[in-house]
Amino acid sequence: MNFILALLHRNLIANMASVKLTLSRTVVQPTIYLLVFGHIIGRMIPGSASYSAVMAPGMIAIAAFSAPLVTISGYILPGYFFRTLEAWLLAPVPLRTIFIAMVISGTFSGIANSIVVALIAWLVLGLVPVNFLTLVLVVAAGSLLFSLFTLTVLLLPARPDKGQEVLSFLMMPMTFFGCTFYSLDMLEPQFRYFALLFPTTYISEGLRAAYAPAAPHLDLPMVLTGFAVATILLLPLADFAFRRRLGHFTW
Amino acid sequence: MTAVQINSLTLGYPGGTIAVNDLSLEVKQGEIFGLLGLNGAGKSSLIKGVATLMRPSAGHVRVFGLDACRQSAAVKRRIGVMPQENNLDIHLNVRQNLLFHCRYAAMPAKVAEYRIDKWLSILDLSGKAKEAVLHLSGGTKRKVMLAKAFITEPELLVLDEPSAGLDPGIRSSLWEQVRIFRQQGGTVFLSTHYLEEAEALCDRVGILHRGRLAKSFCIAARAARFTPGVLAQAFEGATGEVQ
Repeated sequence: MNFILALLHRNLIANMASVKLTLSRTVVQPTIYLLVFGHIIGRMIPGSASYSAVMAPGMIAIAAFSAPLVTISGYILPGYFFRTLEAWLLAPVPLRTIFIAMVISGTFSGIANSIVVALIAWLVLGLVPVNFLTLVLVVAAGSLLFSLFTLTVLLLPARPDKGQEVLSFLMMPMTFFGCTFYSLDMLEPQFRYFALLFPTTYISEGLRAAYAPAAPHLDLPMVLTGFAVATILLLPLADFAFRRRLGHFTW
Repeated sequence: MTAVQINSLTLGYPGGTIAVNDLSLEVKQGEIFGLLGLNGAGKSSLIKGVATLMRPSAGHVRVFGLDACRQSAAVKRRIGVMPQENNLDIHLNVRQNLLFHCRYAAMPAKVAEYRIDKWLSILDLSGKAKEAVLHLSGGTKRKVMLAKAFITEPELLVLDEPSAGLDPGIRSSLWEQVRIFRQQGGTVFLSTHYLEEAEALCDRVGILHRGRLAKSFCIAARAARFTPGVLAQAFEGATGEVQ
C-alpha cells in the first residue's frame, strides 16, 4: 500500500512539474472541444440540445480513456528511455504490487480527468448526469480497461517504443469509430457491429446512458458486459506482458 | 555466513545471447568482492541477477539464504543497488528522488528526512538538493545514485561500476564510504573496470571472461605480500587482454 500511495504521489508531483501541459490536456482542450462542437456547432444543427447531449458524454469518454493512456505511457516510456523502471523494480515490493500501483494510478487519473471534463460540460453546456452512479461506474470501468490496454500494448512488443507506435496507430480509429462524436444509433446497422469492436464505444454509450437515459444508447447491461469481457481478456494479458518484460529486466 | 551464493547460474537475453554461463561463486558476509572483466564479460548481467532484476535461465542466486527470484521482495529489502546507468526519476529533483526511494521502501518519514540530510551532506550534495536531476553533471548523478544505494542502510551493497565517470576526489570519497560500510559489518558485491579500485577495495576478486568465472582469488589474505601488478598479470592471464 505504501508503494502504491508513493507512486500516486510521485505521479501528482510529475504532473505538477509540467502544470501547463497538464492543464492544457485536462482543461483547455476539452473546454475548446465542448465550446466549439457542443455550443457553437451544436446550435447550428437543428435539434442542437440533443447533439450537445450526444457529444458531451463522448468528450468525457475521451478523458476517461486518454488519461490512463497518458499516465501509463508516462510510466513506461520515460521509464524505458531514462531507466526509471529499473528504480521501481528495485523497490522492495513484489512485481505484482508495481503492476497494481500502475493500474490504480492510470485508473485514478482517468476518473479525475473525467470529473474535470464533466464539470466543464456542466459549466459550458449546462449538462448534468441523470444517473450519477452509472457515470462513476462507466468512467471507473473505462479507465481501468484503458490502463490495462495501455500496459498490454506498450509491454507486449520487444520494446515500448514499438508499442507506442502501435498505440498511436490504434487510438485514432478507437476515438473516431468509438462513438465519441456520435451515438451508436446514428450509424447504419452494418457499421454498428464494427463500432462494437472498440472498447471506446462502451464508454461513450455508457456515459450517454448516464446523461440521457431517455435518448437512444446501448443498453447498460450490454455496456457492462462489454467492459467485463474486455477486462477478463486484458487483465491476464497485461499481467503476462508486465511479468514477461519486467520480471526479467533485460532493457 | 554466506551473503551471496551463486550456483551454476546461467543468465540469458531474449534472442539467445548468454551473458553468464554456468557460474558459481560465494561471497561471505562482511566481505568486499569485486568482479573484473572486459566489456561484455557478463559483469552487469551478474550484478542484475544478484539485484533480482534478471531471472536465471538455469541455476540460482541466494542472498542471505533467500532465493533472489522467488523471494525477490525480501531480498530487495536487504540490498542497496547502484546500477551502471543512471536511473534517476527525471520528473523529480535530487531530494525528491531520495525521498521517493525511501517511500518506496516504506521508510518512516522522519527517518527518511534524517537519512536524506545525512547522505546529502556526506556526498556534498546539500547545495544541489532542489536541482532537477536532468540539469546535473554525470558525476553528480552518480553521487545521487550512490546515496540511493546507501540510504536504506542495506546489509549488502551491489555496485555496478560505481566509480565509472567519477573524478578522483569523488572516487576516493566513494571508496571511503564503502570501507566504512564494510567496517560496520556490511557486505559489498561490486563490478569494476579499474584494477586499482579492485586492489584498493576488495578482499577477493573474480575475473569474468565470456560469462564464466575465469579466475577467483583473495587479495586480503595475502595483502602483506600482494604487490602492484599481480592483479594485472592475473587479468591478462584470464582474459588475454592487457590492462
